[in-house]
Amino acid sequence: MTNLLEFDNIHYAYPNCPASLSGVTFSIKKGARVALVGPNGAGKTTLMLMCNGVLEPSKGRVLLDGEPLRYDSRSLREVRKKVGMVFQNSDTQLFAPTVYQDVAFGPLNLGMEPAEIKKVVARALLEVGLAGYEKRPPHQLSGGEKKRAAIAGTLAMDPEILVFDEPTSSLDPAGAADLMELLDELNVKGATIIISTHDVELAYLWADQIILINKGTVLHTGTPEEVFTDPSLVTSSNLRMPAVLELYTELVSRQMVKKTQSPKSVLQLVSSLEENFRKPGADRVIGTITVCDVDATGTGEIKAWIADHPGLRCGAMGTRAKNLAERESIALDFTYGVIDKGILRALVGENSILLTPASMVPHVFRRVETYCRESGNTISVVCLNNTPHQSPSPGDMKEGDQKE
Amino acid sequence: MKLMGDNLDYYAQANALRDVNSYLKLILGMGAILVCVVSPGPVAPLLILVTLSAITLVFAKIPVRVYVELLHIPLLFAFFSVIVILFLSGGGEPVLTFSIANVPLTATSGSANLAFLVLVRTFGGMCGLFFIALTTPMIEIFSVMHTLRVPPVLIDLSMLIYHFIFVFIGQSIAIHNAQTIRHGYTSFKRSLNSMAMLGAMLFIRAWKEAEDLIIAMDSRCYDGKLELPGQQNPPKPVAVASVAVYLCLCIAVAIMTSTIVPFR
Repeated sequence: MTNLLEFDNIHYAYPNCPASLSGVTFSIKKGARVALVGPNGAGKTTLMLMCNGVLEPSKGRVLLDGEPLRYDSRSLREVRKKVGMVFQNSDTQLFAPTVYQDVAFGPLNLGMEPAEIKKVVARALLEVGLAGYEKRPPHQLSGGEKKRAAIAGTLAMDPEILVFDEPTSSLDPAGAADLMELLDELNVKGATIIISTHDVELAYLWADQIILINKGTVLHTGTPEEVFTDPSLVTSSNLRMPAVLELYTELVSRQMVKKTQSPKSVLQLVSSLEENFRKPGADRVIGTITVCDVDATGTGEIKAWIADHPGLRCGAMGTRAKNLAERESIALDFTYGVIDKGILRALVGENSILLTPASMVPHVFRRVETYCRESGNTISVVCLNNTPHQSPSPGDMKEGDQKE
Repeated sequence: MKLMGDNLDYYAQANALRDVNSYLKLILGMGAILVCVVSPGPVAPLLILVTLSAITLVFAKIPVRVYVELLHIPLLFAFFSVIVILFLSGGGEPVLTFSIANVPLTATSGSANLAFLVLVRTFGGMCGLFFIALTTPMIEIFSVMHTLRVPPVLIDLSMLIYHFIFVFIGQSIAIHNAQTIRHGYTSFKRSLNSMAMLGAMLFIRAWKEAEDLIIAMDSRCYDGKLELPGQQNPPKPVAVASVAVYLCLCIAVAIMTSTIVPFR
């Protein structure tokens, strides 16, 4: 795959200040989930503002699709259409008197027709789960809703790359988990996503490429496992090891688990532990995971199905599914890390149903399939509304696995 | 800290007449204000202040407490002006005479009539203004401005000013809190000092906010277009008719009662 965005030996200094970037080089592939990790003042924000040409490097080049950025206003327009930016402080981004007008700002300035703007805005708001908020003034929204509105404003311009500056910094844990699910959903739909953060847990779990920067230089570019298992890298950039990884290294040094691939999640750690500590001969009942596409299933059908299956664990992914659960007063057992939780429950013999938006259904199948292949367990996943295009065929699987 | 701006805006967004056509609401409010100001006698303004308050409280479902709280500020001002008018203007028979510290004060029937007229005019006018402010969100007023062909630059400016009011309120609360918890307002001298600092910081922060805003707008391909006309619900014929009847009634009352004066 080609490099979508490239930074080539970037130097930058704010006027009358010491250099804030000195020789930054890295590249990002299409469809990647990139986390720019570094301590406060490392130059993350400066770097992000270069992605869409707000700042011009004093030396070096930024390449988008292999073309160096040019800084005249017409070229910048094209760049900003491709690279959407969501700022840390949503208040600066939301300046129009209503959510509708704010989301419509980008499309309006791109010269779209009113009818098209209406369509685009409705789609963007639906995607972030804010349908029905059109007439609300942004200053009356909660922090999480503001963030979503800001994202909708960017999505309305249909960018290829989405850049988020500290997306979870002002959100509560549930709001942050929601947001990261939204980013997953957007990524699955094909967007390349770059976030800046100093939340190591988040970066470790979510990203597939970490760019570690400190004092204006890139310390390392690589997979989360590479970056976070290297103690010298972790300490030199004022970070700390993610809890799962720390637990894993301690367990390995006590020979309680075999040293294999570093676990990314609680699920992976639990499976490695189970390999060693499972009582032999014990009969194992494995539960089923049912996936329910909330966009295609009637609420009555979902409620009836849940009523028919007592003792069921219930999880929801994404705002639309969660809103639906709240509206229909379906009690949710898991609201974040839903697929992993479903697998963990299945391993102790409990059945679960996962409410997801349509775009995430294949993702659930892929994720469980990958787990089954790695662990040797068999967990069956079924679709509640068994329409043919959603059930996994072997062809789908392979394609999906290569993408991961 | 309780903020009136928050209150007003909140009720403008949440009241029961929110979705009624804004032109209708504006015509009703403005019409009432005009009748109040023009009416030569005090009966029409009295009628307007009673009926419009009733409309605001009953139809728009604004809580009485909020309404009274909002009205008492301008009324306090009006009350003091009325006292001055009562004793400074003249004409007619003396109604009340007394002296404070050897200064004789006299209220005549003419001055009493004028004072009463000014009071009810202000009162009625304020009811009209608050009817608009409490039922029509700023956004709707922007869209009305747009259809009335107000120059776009003015509308854009008003929209940004509207946005920055809330930025200002938020920032000043934050700074004020930060100062209060470190005893910034414990004595008069310190309060002055803190207040000056707050002002200076607000200016700097507003400047920075404006710079960030430009970056945010540029990142979304800002090309000089900001305003978007909102959609209006078409007015219901019954509503149009009742507004027309109400305003005609007010005008008729103003004309017919123009000679009635309360003090002779």
